Amino acid sequence: MTVDLGVYLSGLRLRNPTILASGILGDKAQLLRRASESGFGAVTTKSFTYNPREGYKTPIVAEVKAGLLNAVGLANPGYKMMRKIISEARINGVPIIVSLAGSNIDEFHRMAIYADESGADAVELNLSCPHVEKMGMEIGQDPNYVARLVGDIKGSITIPLFIKIGLTDNYMEVVGRALDKGADGVTAINTIRAMAIDIYAKKPILSNIYGGLSGPAIHPIAIRITYDLYSEYRATIIGTGGVEDCKDALEFILAGATAIGIGTSISKKGLNIAKDIVRGIRKYMENEGVKKLEDLIGYVHKN
Amino acid sequence: MSIGYRDEAIGGESSYTVGILKRIYVHNRNLKSLYIELNHWLDIKPGQFLMVWIPGYEEIPISPSYSDGELIRLTVKGVGDTSKKLINMNMGDRVYVRGPYGTYFKIDDRDKYLLVGGGYGAAPLIFLAHKLVEMGLRPKYVEGVKSISEQLFIKEAESLGLEATLVTEDGSSGIRGLVTDYIVSILDNFDSVLACGPTPMLDKVLDLCRSRGINCQLSYESIVKCGIGVCGSCTLGNTGLLICFDGPVLDINTLNKWRYRGSD
Repeated sequence: MTVDLGVYLSGLRLRNPTILASGILGDKAQLLRRASESGFGAVTTKSFTYNPREGYKTPIVAEVKAGLLNAVGLANPGYKMMRKIISEARINGVPIIVSLAGSNIDEFHRMAIYADESGADAVELNLSCPHVEKMGMEIGQDPNYVARLVGDIKGSITIPLFIKIGLTDNYMEVVGRALDKGADGVTAINTIRAMAIDIYAKKPILSNIYGGLSGPAIHPIAIRITYDLYSEYRATIIGTGGVEDCKDALEFILAGATAIGIGTSISKKGLNIAKDIVRGIRKYMENEGVKKLEDLIGYVHKN
Repeated sequence: MSIGYRDEAIGGESSYTVGILKRIYVHNRNLKSLYIELNHWLDIKPGQFLMVWIPGYEEIPISPSYSDGELIRLTVKGVGDTSKKLINMNMGDRVYVRGPYGTYFKIDDRDKYLLVGGGYGAAPLIFLAHKLVEMGLRPKYVEGVKSISEQLFIKEAESLGLEATLVTEDGSSGIRGLVTDYIVSILDNFDSVLACGPTPMLDKVLDLCRSRGINCQLSYESIVKCGIGVCGSCTLGNTGLLICFDGPVLDINTLNKWRYRGSD
């Protein structure tokens, strides 16, 4: 039986549902290219900010049980570099999603237009970085701000617009308002603000004290949020959080995700994880008699 | 304060292994070897690196110059805040390490090896020399430094029974010149070159090995931030290779596959 793993993500054709998640590797063209060559269906850049950022001092990661804490600090060369990076990163027609982190609506607006002009296939607004002030959670949980932001940008760009949300109490309202204003989809979820202490040093490990928790620990939370967003809005969702194998990926798709963001597990398994997941999904589809992966999106919501 | 107990005794897991400074060997005022006892056994292979942290300072990557799993030796040159702090530690002070990370030198006991270290890049090679001798192999050890005051492990290599050659740029001891010029005359006696040092030196070794069809494994240095292949800081030149994850030890086939032409 031949099976079709391709999906349409708000008009973008992906050869398979795996997406390199934002924040992992992607501020250098050669790494995005390598991810595309390794089999990802699309790649997301690290978040660009208006001005270049060095990022935080090390330690910027802490390996914890069931996950990883990071506080890289939105290190990136500034949004003006994105044109060069996009053109050098493009290979085999694999879509490039540009992640943006602005400190105000004007910055977001200018960067989104520049991304569109620079050949990005979609933009993802990072509304949920848990470790940089004024560029993260504060804005992502303000429904009025998000609505204004999305409405403002949507009228100025021609490519799909995603918002990346974190774990907040009011994500349903925030996403609802964003969708009303024309957001094409949601990336759910970002890392969750957390910390780790070394008991012998008797100090927080990260130089920034706080970081974002990712990996298996957040997977069931991301599944729940994906399920809720699909159930309420039939939203287009990039399910992200703790995907380590094809079963984690399929769980997201059944909950309602169209595509799957993969990040933290790359530190254990390398970029070949995309191929492994795709192979596993294909086998599952053959065994379960599913011809088109798209038929599985949100399947748990069917009677 | 000594740890006085093994970490395993209290159970649980932690991100860092605690090390206690037990002995210091002074190569020169700014270049020292620190003998550190770990509270937790680590399986470290020559070429792999540890992320070394002192709270309040930045965490840095260091490839040990020796390890038996419980006692490690870090050979450190004071170049940044953390490395300067490290070489000025007092006996009994703690350091925190995580890892080991990255690739290591792969050994085939049929091969005749030439070990080439540049500056404190000699560190993983003397560790490797110990392992090769344990395996019954007799590699040649070459160390290239600017001046005699930076010499590190020539005597240690000799005490292992190895033929060891020192090359100094200023001619203050041993053979005068660049280590990469010196090895040209002896390369054809070997099957494989194992090297670590500054990137321009390794690039030159790679060129020599490519032109003569000799195998090599090169351990590249880089600024490493996360150490686990996620932050993307440590790409090698224009390739998509990550020094912390695909390296630090990269063999000639991998470098050729990525069409590595040297860093600018």
